[in-house]
Amino acid sequence: MSSSLTQRLFFVTGKGGVGKSTVASALALAFSQRGERTLLCELNANDRVAQLLERPPPGPDIQQLEPNLWAVDIRPAEAMREYALMILKFSAVYRTVFENRLVRHFLRLIPSLQELVMIGKIFFHLRETLPGGEPRFSRIVVDAPATGHALSFLRLPQVLLETVPPGPLAKEAEVMRKLLVDPAVSASVLVTLPEELPLQETFELAQSLEERVGLHHALTVLNSFTAPRFDDADQTQIAGNPLLEPVMGHHQQRVAQSQEALNRLRGLRAPVALVPLFFFGKFGREAVEQTARALRPWVEPSGRLESASSGGAL
Amino acid sequence: MNPPTADANNPLKSAIAAKRVLVCVGAGGVGKTTVSAALGVRAAMANRSALVCTIDPARRLANALGLRELGNTETRIPDSALHQAGIHPGAPLFGMMLDMKQSWDAFIEKNTPPDQREKILGNRLYQSISTRLAGSQEYIAMEKLWELRNRNDYDVLVLDTPPTAHALDFLEAPKRVLDFFDNDAARFLMTPALLAGKVGLQFLHLGGSFATKTLAKLTGVQLLQDIANLLLATRSLHDTFRERAKGVRQMLEAPESTFVLVTTPNPERLNEAIRFHQLLKESALDIAAIVVNRVQISPSAEQKAAAASAPSPTRERLLETLAEQSKVAEEDTRGIAMLQTSCAGTPLIQVPRFELDVHDIEGLSATAKYLVGERQVPSDTLS
Repeated sequence: MSSSLTQRLFFVTGKGGVGKSTVASALALAFSQRGERTLLCELNANDRVAQLLERPPPGPDIQQLEPNLWAVDIRPAEAMREYALMILKFSAVYRTVFENRLVRHFLRLIPSLQELVMIGKIFFHLRETLPGGEPRFSRIVVDAPATGHALSFLRLPQVLLETVPPGPLAKEAEVMRKLLVDPAVSASVLVTLPEELPLQETFELAQSLEERVGLHHALTVLNSFTAPRFDDADQTQIAGNPLLEPVMGHHQQRVAQSQEALNRLRGLRAPVALVPLFFFGKFGREAVEQTARALRPWVEPSGRLESASSGGAL
Repeated sequence: MNPPTADANNPLKSAIAAKRVLVCVGAGGVGKTTVSAALGVRAAMANRSALVCTIDPARRLANALGLRELGNTETRIPDSALHQAGIHPGAPLFGMMLDMKQSWDAFIEKNTPPDQREKILGNRLYQSISTRLAGSQEYIAMEKLWELRNRNDYDVLVLDTPPTAHALDFLEAPKRVLDFFDNDAARFLMTPALLAGKVGLQFLHLGGSFATKTLAKLTGVQLLQDIANLLLATRSLHDTFRERAKGVRQMLEAPESTFVLVTTPNPERLNEAIRFHQLLKESALDIAAIVVNRVQISPSAEQKAAAASAPSPTRERLLETLAEQSKVAEEDTRGIAMLQTSCAGTPLIQVPRFELDVHDIEGLSATAKYLVGERQVPSDTLS
């Protein structure tokens, strides 16, 4: 367990409802809190991460949320415009052509063009530099779509290379694919829960991402982890009490599920970060802060890991 | 608070008994597949043959239904699998897992003339368009449902819809797919070549408006040609799409069809459910019920008293656990009250959070009992 997160670009994904947005926000927050210029990207998601962080929504233009932390909600129409402008150079041409209703319609015929320009925008920001030459963002965290969609989204550069004839689009796709499969640049963070179906999906996703995308799996985040609370003495005490047995039983069930999930996830190549189950009234800033705390050991530069333990005491 | 629904007029029980098409909708990860499967089990128990049509590739649940090796065909759920869970259906239960690619291929094969078929299936853009176009999953799922309904082999069809990011995607899917293939824009841009039927290297010069040429800068000439070829080959499908989209719409609006909206008490999911509900209402579609899945039940006052009289440190541990459960339960109660207000007139059905997550037939059976009102989440016991 010596690996901390050294890559620059992270795609946070997992089954729907496992807490992807919270983990993505927390990861970005953790990077920014240790002084790294971090961009948090959502993909056409109605500014959910801003809600979680309790900040004003950034919308389709990059906005600074707090020191070292920027966010953007990448939307297909705006990303398309930026991409077209980059290639066509002149906004007059863009307006004449792309703001034509019929042309807009036509663009939808190009498979996955929307997704491609969205992914393209992410890679554009990855390569952006400040006047001094250093990268504009040292880390980019993407709140990626859920499992099935994530896979087709991340496979897009490869699929385009296979389906689209040589040309400007194919050239773009090739550049993206190279960055995507470079384990020094890009990685996935898979979020899961101690429940059967999310776990199964995590294993399938880890395999697919490795085999079909070639994306390095850097970290698994096990959300809603429950650490043991009741010991043998408690069990003796409570045994036979019909009112209290279910209370303890419920908790122990979750402990057992958490432990089983952890054991199974350890079979994957990536290390497992544990995020405890929170009991907040509302899922917002507090949950993100706590999650960021649990993820902190993984965003430390490598070498400092020994002293840090993950979220759940075992 | 609403009183718990009496068993006799449980809306899902009546839907299972009277309706022919049940469409389960909702966000991803709320237990839609489980609810769909449970409704199918119940229909079979009520002596109505049922087919559960799912798109969820989660295998354990599929295994529990005997769907392990299945692709795109309907398969009878073996009675032995059901008997193990104490379920004795009076009518056969079937299941199938929709495979998007196979469904699209079958659709093309059935609806295009033989000479166009190969051109479409062999077009390198076809596959990505058929499986990735926004709304294409939703479209083909409903298309399949329509086909099955017309075949009339089952008393009840339950459709587990794809996890839709935006509620609108689902309802607009037929329109989008129709738009896509019935594309004025493409024809406008390429008319001369298309009409001449010779879409070749010259088509840009032939039909070459300024717009077409500019587009080509972005995409390359070859890609535009591939698209033109696909459009040409699918021209005969326009009428089919239009007719079928109309058929699907009529089926969804028919009195024999109803929607079951599934959600969890998580605030984000509740907001999506409210939007979805509003949209269904605006589209004049029938909603049998909103199912609120995984509701935390409040600990009872007796439990709290018993915990308080346990010796330390067991007492503190018990009280902490109860406090956590109460907190979640309170939050759920608040969320459900909000949902009730926002969706007035639509019955809510609560299913508790089970100790273990539901992925086998016993779990399905337990869920089903709550759905049809044989068991109920106790009404608010907060003191």
